[in-house]
Amino acid sequence: MRFKAYLRAMALGVATSAVMTLTVPAFADDLIMWERSGGNAGMVDRLIEMWNEKNPDRRIQLTYIPHAEMVAKLAQAIASGDVPDLMGLDLIYGPQFEAAGQLVDITDYFKDDPTLKTASPGHMMVATYDDRLYGVPLYADVSALFYNKDLFEKAGLDPDKPPTSLAEVRAYADKITALGGDVKGYFLPGSCAGCNIFTVGPLMWASGATIEPNADGEPLVGDGVKQVLQWARDMIKAGNVHDDARAENGETFHLRFGSGKVGMMGTGNFNITLARDQNPDMNFGIALLPGVEPGSAASFIGGDLVTIPKGSKRVDDAVDFMKFLLSDEVQVEGYAKLLNLTTRSDMTDNQYFEAEPLVQDVAKALSVGRTPYTLTFFEQINSPQGPWLQMLQRAYYTDDDLDEIIAGAQDQMKAIAAQE
Amino acid sequence: MYASRRARLTGLLYLAPALLFVLVFTAWPMVQMAWMSLHSWSIIEPPKWVGLANYLRAWNDRQFWTSLGFTLEYTAWITPVLIVTGYLLALLVVPNTPLRKLTRAVVFVPVVIGLGVSSLLWYWLFSYDFGLVNRALVDLGVVAKPVVWFGEDANRAMWAVITSIVWKVVGFGMLLFVAAMQSIPQEVNEAAMVDGASYWQRVRRITLPLTARTVLLVTLFSIIGSLLAFDQFYLMTAGQPFNKTATSVFWIYLNSFPYLKLGYGAALSLVLAVIILLMTVAQMALARKTHA
Repeated sequence: MRFKAYLRAMALGVATSAVMTLTVPAFADDLIMWERSGGNAGMVDRLIEMWNEKNPDRRIQLTYIPHAEMVAKLAQAIASGDVPDLMGLDLIYGPQFEAAGQLVDITDYFKDDPTLKTASPGHMMVATYDDRLYGVPLYADVSALFYNKDLFEKAGLDPDKPPTSLAEVRAYADKITALGGDVKGYFLPGSCAGCNIFTVGPLMWASGATIEPNADGEPLVGDGVKQVLQWARDMIKAGNVHDDARAENGETFHLRFGSGKVGMMGTGNFNITLARDQNPDMNFGIALLPGVEPGSAASFIGGDLVTIPKGSKRVDDAVDFMKFLLSDEVQVEGYAKLLNLTTRSDMTDNQYFEAEPLVQDVAKALSVGRTPYTLTFFEQINSPQGPWLQMLQRAYYTDDDLDEIIAGAQDQMKAIAAQE
Repeated sequence: MYASRRARLTGLLYLAPALLFVLVFTAWPMVQMAWMSLHSWSIIEPPKWVGLANYLRAWNDRQFWTSLGFTLEYTAWITPVLIVTGYLLALLVVPNTPLRKLTRAVVFVPVVIGLGVSSLLWYWLFSYDFGLVNRALVDLGVVAKPVVWFGEDANRAMWAVITSIVWKVVGFGMLLFVAAMQSIPQEVNEAAMVDGASYWQRVRRITLPLTARTVLLVTLFSIIGSLLAFDQFYLMTAGQPFNKTATSVFWIYLNSFPYLKLGYGAALSLVLAVIILLMTVAQMALARKTHA
């Protein structure tokens, strides 16, 4: 009797599994796409949904890979030959995979395509290798200076006049910090390499410096590097940054501005919706990240490319999806409708952006934005163990000589670039 | 002769499944790793033969030696803490009363939780803004304002990690110690009691010597586990501040996967494996000498 009950339970289990398998079908005609997990998932989901509605005979099955595992997972897939048909790739890794010959060359497919002319220049730069094109923008993240207008007013500052130089940022931060309580004037993430290249890197660029190795192979060139490091050190010493910012490793970076306790901070367009959800009553504005000279500005253009890995059996369909992403309709009804940046600069005049001035403000950063181009971006800059973060930490939290700190980072970055 | 060969063959046949398992899943990967370590191997490009260049680079890699130094320091601190705490707990719960059995179970529960999960749990417990640890310390008046546990001071971060790991694994050592203590014949202790030995005299003169082999085993587990520490530091400190809490395995992982330098990662792994092997052999030799 017990054995029969056991058999019945087993049969039920097998039947349930079969039914579940059937309810989530993966048809042979489906394209497989991988994308890294993160804050843009909602928008990518919508883009795929739009494609699937229009293309029921060649739907896309999307799988998210944890952000930190993406490169390793792709590398393993390439090594085993079991690649997806399409893959979203953090744009900074574009050059590495292009140089390794692991992406499909799509230059000829886009030869006469006019949409590329206005596609995000930062994306296009890293999607191009030896004058051949290997991807198109999937989405764009740009950094800008977010400021809390409520705190500006309380500190006696004009909420319609955001700072236009680092000296002004410092002066405004002093006044906001003087409000007391748990309020601080600025935010600098102490343990997050990626957050810093996104928000502190532009301060250096705007001050005339370069970070990644230039044409001569020299990284961290220009007085702007030292000036920004000195400025940041002084900001921290003056108490303008929360103590726990030192431990910020990126986990709660996106929640800092919405807390309402930070007067100003560099962050990205993704923070508009997040801050609104987190703190609906907070009144805030967006300006460009400034440099030393008044009126100077820069931004980091980040985001993802959509690429086709070598070995994909659906190259034509994958290219159609790329063209679909760049189409007028998707730019407006996909990206703009969800208040994400359009990946084409000629599509920013639309009804959705007109109704949301903050998106228009952050979109201005695209015109001063740039994306570092290096084959070893992660190791040099984005890694928590890399020379970029080490340099910043020593500048922020020690009294070591800044020239010595910069020289040490330059040596490490050059050594990494020289490795095979 | 024939019988002996036949016996040997029979023995080999019995051994074959285990031997095959070890060959396929341990020996062959080790050979592959050694082969990899002689190449520049990024996974996404064909490997290039570089001979011993990766080992030479390892020798000159300051971060690798810094990481190894930190790993050894972490091991040196956590091992005695684990052994002493586990042993004291075992002494407390060795008699089979219901309350003590319950205590054993409660202390053992964290052992079955994944290390990643427990590290995340403790990461948030130590959080500056939301952590229970800071809240308790401030409310009890131990500190005036919350403590930045990770990212400010390497020693503080290490001790926070040690706290989490002791919570996580001390139950394992305790259980082994309890088993060893329960296997000591009751008469030995009774005889000592009749002779007037106090509790601590019995612990020192009877329990400790008769459980020495288990102490050695737990020490060995603890040392090897600590030398291979990765998850807890990857999740809780990310190597910060200043890369001072990046362990050896963390550094190997970074090189092998995010940096796509599998060949170099393999060379570092082999160097670490040899160091651990030497330490284990030395420890066992020392233990044998002590027992001789």
